[in-house]
Amino acid sequence: MSMDVDSDSDISIDDGAGRKGKGKGKAGNKRRKDKGKGKATDAAYTWEASYTRTWDTVQEDESGSLQSAVEDWMARGRRRRLLAPAAPVRRTIIRHLILLLDLSASMLDRDMRPTRFDLTLQYAREFIVEWFDQNPLGQIGIVGMRAGLGERIGEMSGNPQDVLKAIADRHKLEPTGEPSLQNAIELARSSMNHLPTHSSREILIIFGSLTTCDPHNIHDTLDVCVANKIRICVVALAAEMKICRELCDKTSGQFGVAMNEGHFKDLLFELIPPPAQRALSRAAGAGATNPAADLMMMGFPTRLPDSSAPSLCVCHSEMRSEGFLCPRCLAKVCDVPTDCDICDLMVVSSPHLARSYHHLFPVKPYTTVMSVGDASGSTGCAGCARVFPMVALTTVGEGMSPVGRYQCPECLGEFCSDCDVFVHDVVHCCPGCGR
Amino acid sequence: MKASHLSVVIDLSLTHWELSAREPPENTDPLTLNAFLSQLLVFLNAHIACSHENTLAVFGAFPGKSVMLYSSTDPARDLVSNTINANAYPPFNAVDSAVVQRIMAELDLLENHEQEAPSALVGALVKALCYVNRITLPPSSNSKAQANGFHPGVLPDPRILILSVSPDLSTSYIPIMNSIFSAQKLKTTIDVCQIYGPNTVFLQQAAHLTGGSYIFLERRDALLQYLIARLFACTCMSFLPPPSIRKTLSVPTQEQVDFRAACFCHKKIIDIGFVCSVCLSIYCQPLPVCTTCRTKFPMKTLQRLSQVTSGSSGPVTNNGVGHSKNGVR
Amino acid sequence: MSIHLSAPAEQEHSPHSLIPFLQSQSQSLLTRLYQRPSACLSIFRLLAPLQQQIVMNLLWLESAIASSTMAAWVVRDAKRNYDTALLSLFRLHILPTSPVKLALNPTFKSSMRQSLTGGGATGSFGVPADMDNSYSPMTVEALDGYALERWETILHYMVSSGTGQTSLRPSKDVLFLLEQSGLMGSHNGSFQITSSGFQFLLHSPHAQLWALLLEYLRMAEARSMDLVEVLSFLFMLSTMELGREYSTEGTNSTPAAVQTQKAMLSDLRDYGLLWQRKPSSRRFYPTRLSTTLTSSSPPLPTSSGPSSGVKEGFIVLETNYRVYAYTDNPLQTAVLNLFVSLKYRFPNLVVGAITRESVKKALANGISAEQIISYLIAHAHPQMRKNNPLLPVTVQDQIRLWELERNRLKSHEGFLYTAFASPADYQLVLNYAKQLDVVVWESGAKRCFFATAEGHAHIKGFIERRTGAGGEV
Repeated sequence: MSMDVDSDSDISIDDGAGRKGKGKGKAGNKRRKDKGKGKATDAAYTWEASYTRTWDTVQEDESGSLQSAVEDWMARGRRRRLLAPAAPVRRTIIRHLILLLDLSASMLDRDMRPTRFDLTLQYAREFIVEWFDQNPLGQIGIVGMRAGLGERIGEMSGNPQDVLKAIADRHKLEPTGEPSLQNAIELARSSMNHLPTHSSREILIIFGSLTTCDPHNIHDTLDVCVANKIRICVVALAAEMKICRELCDKTSGQFGVAMNEGHFKDLLFELIPPPAQRALSRAAGAGATNPAADLMMMGFPTRLPDSSAPSLCVCHSEMRSEGFLCPRCLAKVCDVPTDCDICDLMVVSSPHLARSYHHLFPVKPYTTVMSVGDASGSTGCAGCARVFPMVALTTVGEGMSPVGRYQCPECLGEFCSDCDVFVHDVVHCCPGCGR
Repeated sequence: MKASHLSVVIDLSLTHWELSAREPPENTDPLTLNAFLSQLLVFLNAHIACSHENTLAVFGAFPGKSVMLYSSTDPARDLVSNTINANAYPPFNAVDSAVVQRIMAELDLLENHEQEAPSALVGALVKALCYVNRITLPPSSNSKAQANGFHPGVLPDPRILILSVSPDLSTSYIPIMNSIFSAQKLKTTIDVCQIYGPNTVFLQQAAHLTGGSYIFLERRDALLQYLIARLFACTCMSFLPPPSIRKTLSVPTQEQVDFRAACFCHKKIIDIGFVCSVCLSIYCQPLPVCTTCRTKFPMKTLQRLSQVTSGSSGPVTNNGVGHSKNGVR
Repeated sequence: MSIHLSAPAEQEHSPHSLIPFLQSQSQSLLTRLYQRPSACLSIFRLLAPLQQQIVMNLLWLESAIASSTMAAWVVRDAKRNYDTALLSLFRLHILPTSPVKLALNPTFKSSMRQSLTGGGATGSFGVPADMDNSYSPMTVEALDGYALERWETILHYMVSSGTGQTSLRPSKDVLFLLEQSGLMGSHNGSFQITSSGFQFLLHSPHAQLWALLLEYLRMAEARSMDLVEVLSFLFMLSTMELGREYSTEGTNSTPAAVQTQKAMLSDLRDYGLLWQRKPSSRRFYPTRLSTTLTSSSPPLPTSSGPSSGVKEGFIVLETNYRVYAYTDNPLQTAVLNLFVSLKYRFPNLVVGAITRESVKKALANGISAEQIISYLIAHAHPQMRKNNPLLPVTVQDQIRLWELERNRLKSHEGFLYTAFASPADYQLVLNYAKQLDVVVWESGAKRCFFATAEGHAHIKGFIERRTGAGGEV
């Protein structure tokens, strides 16, 4: 077993669960103790941490096994799920986001390896891929802040490849000069002006500088953003700035200062799931019509096979064999989602819509079977048929079943912990109920 | 050769099998459940025959209930007959007897109910996914798999074959979509063979989105023998090759993929629908309040949309004259 | 310089070692073999995946299919693979050669169908013995232990014969087989492992087993055994169920066949492929060695020590040439000792280093650098499998460089021609020697050249003729 110690540390059972706080190791904690009372926050900044050993975050139990550490992570995920509200949360699903990248000279700082700029580009790419995975109907545009100007880098697009291509070449984005928040926000705002009311308008700023040089009063810009219902989120790489905090607070966005590389990624990826709309409806008063909500007419197309006879598409006027047929006017479009150029019907593929349905109908959390006496007669997991242990464990973490059984409250089927995690985090459908 | 894993989901809806077995003129080529099962067993044997390491799991979707019929990791010892035959390969024997005995046992239990529930295809599919998830998990967290001869790092090439006879069940739209996305995450291919009945929109999408094949056995003026041969030829040709080999073969893929969805209100399958902008619930007619997220929609929109649909009850049809400017924006 | 390993990928595509042997057999012999469903099933398993698919598609067709129809089933890029697959099937006589129509060999077709559907009365999957209550049945663990002990005795004997240590001698038949296959030979009066024997040790257990069995098959004819009987008995073993007792009776009728089977029972018992309570017993248990014959990566009992839980790889190789082997198996330690200089031994761990000397020793024994590297890859610890490339490149390259070092000098026997009187004479003789293509080295400045021994007689004759004719040398 001695071999397993150093390498299992990179296990990630569940994204998010247990990842936080991984970047800061023991070494950082020790140093802070030496300094005596320091900051109120419990974490070290990158430049304070001297050396991080990933294996410090996992602890062996008495027998030298990592099993308990792994199970602890899973238990944490379970508890988080139980805390989450059971009622479906209203979320904005058709999203429009402008990614505002700081391209000022301060991004060349090396406090995040290799540089703030390189790391930002890398995380931005990962962010875009994951964002489109969870928001298939959304669109992203990219704006840069460089040499006192706002610079349009990528047009608003629903195709992840287009967006990724815009930031693929780092030489075109070489940071220089001072940033201007106002110019960049104005540019982003103007490119979202035409959007329909039912879609969200969001600006995500990755900000490395501690200054901004603006031509006018930035508070006016902020007021316009509030009026236009634009939500601004800021991930700062250096330190908290008053104006950044204010931008987020007034537009009900999120603000965060990245402490180290891992935390930077966490802050960024927290913004991927569709934002809940609770705040909005409360402001409008119970029972009031939500102005942002609307009923849309959509068409679900038929995909033509690659082998069909080529014909002209209505979007590019090119001869193609593959494509999608608009269900209303039977025009052929190249890609979905799009608006049909002939009849203006919004043509989406239904899997795009379906990707977000698990937010609407979550699987009820399974209850933990606490003793052999409570267990039903079944010998194996109702999902994967793995045989349950016959003997109860004596020590288990909170939220873990000593007999390894988790019961669905609806169909009363019992599942193993792997299936419990899989059903709630991936499939979103209980094998027993079939719903 | 790399091992591959196959999970087979069998639709065992008695009603539809009974329809399928009816003699002409109702059916041009009837196929009974028994005839089908004997073909299926040969197919399962063929999968095991390809490699010693190939693994197999069989799931049955009975009316209202899904059951795992066989899995090669934990063969049911109580069912495997102890008498072995000098003329048959023992693993084939084990699969065949386990699958047949389980199916018969479950069908016997069923006969008490007069009203047959729709077959639990989704439950069986999700179970198959749970099983794939289990065998592809790193064995560090499940030591039992190691004892059963799974090699860490050598993940079997997983795929799922659905043999369906029932038409689309619109209540299962969301779970099937969720299963498709999880199959994509597990890098699992879903193959579909629709043996009887109409094309199913949802399973078509499942095969398309996971890179599998969808085969619809059309009714043709042919003899029973021909149909069986064709069924077998189809299943072998298309579904036996593991995905890694499929690159070299031109496996038949479906002609057209229908991306229609089921509406939430009447569970109708529609091609044009009304979608709540907040939660993306799909409705076949304009509603004042979204039933899923309880969002109220503006009156203006409702009036506009009901104008569009007036004259035709229910969903919008394809005769789109005069609709051109009444779209979303 | 960088040399990168492509061997494992190629190995995957190379056919099983038995296939070329079968291809070299006559059509009538193979057709006789194909009468048994178990043989068809086993051979089917040894085929490449594409070949399997071709067979499966043709299996259920009642009539022949046009070649062009079948070829349309393959995408254009894979045409070459498809053609080689067909060629291989032709040579196995599973497909009769025909340019226009494709259909399976009828014997193969009916037996293969029977193996998949069951039925028939060939009894080719082995007749299970009746329950015998006078003895307690053998457990799978006991069978594994037996197979392991037998197999490791053979390997251990081979390893220790090189080092001069004494170890348990396998039976005489086994030694004869080892000698016949050229894995061991008499050297300086003692029976010693040969260079191909050293190479053999580094192969996977599965390849080792088949190498010996192939040799056994080649010998079978010499011993006037019926090759069809021998092969079908092996294939029958490979389809049997582990932990079940089978009867020796019932499958064969002719006296010759019974004789062959009896001889085989005793031979295979020596190799550890099957277990019998006593040599005269009429019943036997197949061991894991035989039931996994047709699988590609068998979980052989040999690859793990009796007590250590390590079933997979056990070797960790670091960039500093250090080798950590988590094993308590003396055989694995002995094999490692072939090319690693061992430093410490612990109850479950052996530590050593790959040094120039240790590799040179291995090279001198006839082991190639490629074999060392593939052995290290095949037995790498699961932790190592996370690395890409799996072995440190520095170590791989260095092992190959050490092998190249050996190739710096190449010796030729021959003669040095020198002391030519004039440049013209030198040129004349040199040109003659060059025409014969025997010159190894020449130096115009020193007026001498070196030619191989074969050319000496001609050159000598040429010079003598020249001298005799009045010219001078």
